[in-house]
Amino acid sequence: MERREEISELKHALEDSRKDKDSKDVRIGVYVCHCGKNIGGTVDCEDVARFAGELPNVILAKDSLYTCSEPGQEQIKTDIREQKLNRVVVASCTPRLHEPTFRAACESAGLNPYLLEMANIREHCSWVHLHDREAATSKAKDLVSMAVARAARLQPQFELTVPVKRTAMVIGGGVAGIQASLDMADAGYKVYLVERSGSIGGRMAQIDKTFPTMDCSICILAPKMSEVGRHPNIEMLTLSEVKEVNGHIGNFKVKVLKKARYVTDGCTACGDCIQACPQLAPDEFNAGLSIRHAIFIPFAQAVPSRYLVDMDLCLNNQGIVACDRCFQACARRCINFAEEDQILDLEVGTIVVATGVDVYDPTALTELGYGRFPNVITTLEFERLINAGGPSSGELIRPSDRKRPKTVAFLQCIGSRSKRSNPYCSNVCCMNTIKDALLIKEHWPETEIFVFYIDIRAFGKGFEDLFQRARREGVTFIRGIPGEIIEDINKGNLTLLGENTLLGSSYRYNMDMVILSVGIRPRSDASVIQRLLNLSTDTDGFYMEAHPKLRPVDTTTGGVFLAGAAEGPKDIKDSVTQASAASSRANILMSRGEVKIPAVTARINPEKCTACGLCARVCPYHAIEGSKEQGYFEVIEAMCQGCGACVPECKFGALDQAHFTDAQIVGQITAALQTEPERKIICFACNWCSYAGADFAGVSRIQYPENVRIIRTMCSARVSPEWIEMAFMKGVGAVLVSGCHPSDCHYNNANQNTSKRVEKFWKRMEKLGLNKDRLRLAWVSASEGAQFAKVVKEMEQGIQKLTPHQIEETKQKLAKRPTKKGEPV
Amino acid sequence: MTVKIWNFFPRQALYECYQCARCTGSCPALEVAPALGPRETILKCLNLGHDQVVEDERLWVCCTCNVCEDRCPQKIPISDLLVALRNSAARRGNIPDKLGIAIELLAKTGRSMIVHQLDEMRAHHGLEPLLPVPIDEIREIFKKTRLDEVIEF
Repeated sequence: MERREEISELKHALEDSRKDKDSKDVRIGVYVCHCGKNIGGTVDCEDVARFAGELPNVILAKDSLYTCSEPGQEQIKTDIREQKLNRVVVASCTPRLHEPTFRAACESAGLNPYLLEMANIREHCSWVHLHDREAATSKAKDLVSMAVARAARLQPQFELTVPVKRTAMVIGGGVAGIQASLDMADAGYKVYLVERSGSIGGRMAQIDKTFPTMDCSICILAPKMSEVGRHPNIEMLTLSEVKEVNGHIGNFKVKVLKKARYVTDGCTACGDCIQACPQLAPDEFNAGLSIRHAIFIPFAQAVPSRYLVDMDLCLNNQGIVACDRCFQACARRCINFAEEDQILDLEVGTIVVATGVDVYDPTALTELGYGRFPNVITTLEFERLINAGGPSSGELIRPSDRKRPKTVAFLQCIGSRSKRSNPYCSNVCCMNTIKDALLIKEHWPETEIFVFYIDIRAFGKGFEDLFQRARREGVTFIRGIPGEIIEDINKGNLTLLGENTLLGSSYRYNMDMVILSVGIRPRSDASVIQRLLNLSTDTDGFYMEAHPKLRPVDTTTGGVFLAGAAEGPKDIKDSVTQASAASSRANILMSRGEVKIPAVTARINPEKCTACGLCARVCPYHAIEGSKEQGYFEVIEAMCQGCGACVPECKFGALDQAHFTDAQIVGQITAALQTEPERKIICFACNWCSYAGADFAGVSRIQYPENVRIIRTMCSARVSPEWIEMAFMKGVGAVLVSGCHPSDCHYNNANQNTSKRVEKFWKRMEKLGLNKDRLRLAWVSASEGAQFAKVVKEMEQGIQKLTPHQIEETKQKLAKRPTKKGEPV
Repeated sequence: MTVKIWNFFPRQALYECYQCARCTGSCPALEVAPALGPRETILKCLNLGHDQVVEDERLWVCCTCNVCEDRCPQKIPISDLLVALRNSAARRGNIPDKLGIAIELLAKTGRSMIVHQLDEMRAHHGLEPLLPVPIDEIREIFKKTRLDEVIEF
């Protein structure tokens, strides 16, 4: 214990001396942005700027209408040169938006970009306290003084450059994955296209025609598929799944499981084998409407054009060859039951995720009878029925009696826009139905077609035109979804009961066939790729983009990009557009061949290090190495991802994180609690989920109590118990530690350390007889703005019940053990 | 004494409705009588205010079977809305005559219909006469549910 106190004293002395020295040199310029009326409408920006001008080390403070504009940036550059500013504070929007902009401005004026600090007075202030100008202004002042305190302690940092491997991996071989692969391969880079099924093609291969141009889907896709197949730069890995991803931007190490196909390259797809195979199963490609054998080819245009053996169905699945009929039938002897699964190790620089979507299963909507009534089918089943290569060779027949239906109904929004299934609009179903209705009209014009809808969303280029065409050709559109479908057991005909809302009258329609226009939803196993690549998902389960407007194909994981419907429901055109965008983003990285990584790594002071190795144990990247013999441990900078999980682990103050130092954060805490600490909440939020979640609350204008002060760390695991202790010693009302949901952590589950440390602190509070509700741990993802607001509201209610006595008691009881790091209390 | 109907039904839920009409399409009461369908009820509450709805006698055709609620994609507690509206209607004296008679009978005899003919029938079949109904208990229920404040008997 003595040694610890000695160390902490030493550290304080050291820090104090450095502070003194710094304060002489530090010249801060503060820029308060009105952002038009976005901030200025709620916050009195001029008042905030006046306030900032009086803060220590601040040389000048200005407010401007748009700081991010060209004149706004020029002002900063001029001031850096003329006023010799060596720190810049911009109080405006979230650093997640414009930090790069202002960093670039600083850099061009000769200031190290890491000497910029931002105060988020838009997303975290003006937008979430819209109706309380006074409180919002006073909060903005707090946020600015926190930023100034941090800025004073900032140090220049220099980014490490890492090489980018000029190789890409595309996950998913649908139209998006195909387009992305071709774009990168054509640019000259090697591409691994990993596809789970036996052929590339995806959903587009299953669809008969595309809207709004009525192109034959496979006819326009097949040439692209074969181009992928023969492209010298593309290595297609079918029947393959990504099992493990390590490394980081520019240098990912990927393990891919390539399952055995049991049919060798020599296969000419002659089809002699299938006649011999005794095993049958529903054909997935035809949505189960036909049968296939255990040895099969997914569809006629499949690429690679090779058969494969479904080992779950084949009689030889125990490794014993019980049946060799296909082997005997194959003249070229291409069947090899000895083939084995293999694990491939790939090294790639960039990754494009194009995993696509599942379709909604309407079985749960029992009133519609899907699965019970044979003549109630889904749109995907219809696509196969109407397709010339499908089970009925393109003849429109209904499943119960294989007769051609004379009356057909389409039901819209099945599984979409509903709290009982998918809450979002699936984007493609309206136009798909209109296209399908026209297809029927084209071949069998006498068929009566009814579309039951809520709203027809024909928003895209050429969509409204197609809708009008369908109406002209006699398709009847009825507003009002049937409540129930009744089947005539003998005939298989269906009666639809419902209300025509425009007429305000009930209807009863007799139909020969009903087609449910089912929505699309994220892949049921989307979480596998999400965890492997540390992606975020939105509330609907789709992968989340880094920014909804300005970085729509990037993810928060560097070097990983999104394409196609995995990011959100979209049609073929949008998927292809996005795939080209994603590959272009990846191409930028690969063509440059190197990338700078943020200088936020952990650093060890070898003089203080006792080589205990505790830090190395918590490092999720094994980036800390050393030994007792060496006498100290050290951080391998290229491997360190900058989570900071190791820093709080050090009992000797030997570790710190660049750009997120203890002194910087302690400065922020101190500034935040300068006035009325008892009514404030200090919130530590991780950069990727919780800070972004609070940003999202701002973007959504979700209002919550203004007394929360958010401090950003890269990962919640950076949050040191000593900061929490310090906040309580300063009389804070409550402390919130928030990060990504467990297993969604952006740093390989580093946030398990967060829970451990908070739990330990709770135990300590419990032992001391303190109210542990004042320290809260909350997992808030980037899409959970509402959840963030809810947590803050709940904590605010707790604070209102606090008495001055309780706060004082906490201070006294915690004081029994001295704080080790940070400023003296 | 005024009771707001929004004490019994979350007003916010009305805004969730996008008029898909699955509710009215499922309504069995509509099959037999000109009821005010759930969709129309919600739309009228939204656009015209619930005051108009509580004056509509068709409100009373609903038998709160809950099918509409089961099938509502937005999970709107439609039955709660209908019950709240009818409570409000009753307090304003907007109860259909037939229903008023039934309630009065219930209060006086403990049964919602006249049963002396039933007793004759039972006797004819050799069955015991119906047991007397504990009127006091029924009255107590009326009091507890505050039905006595709404209906005179």
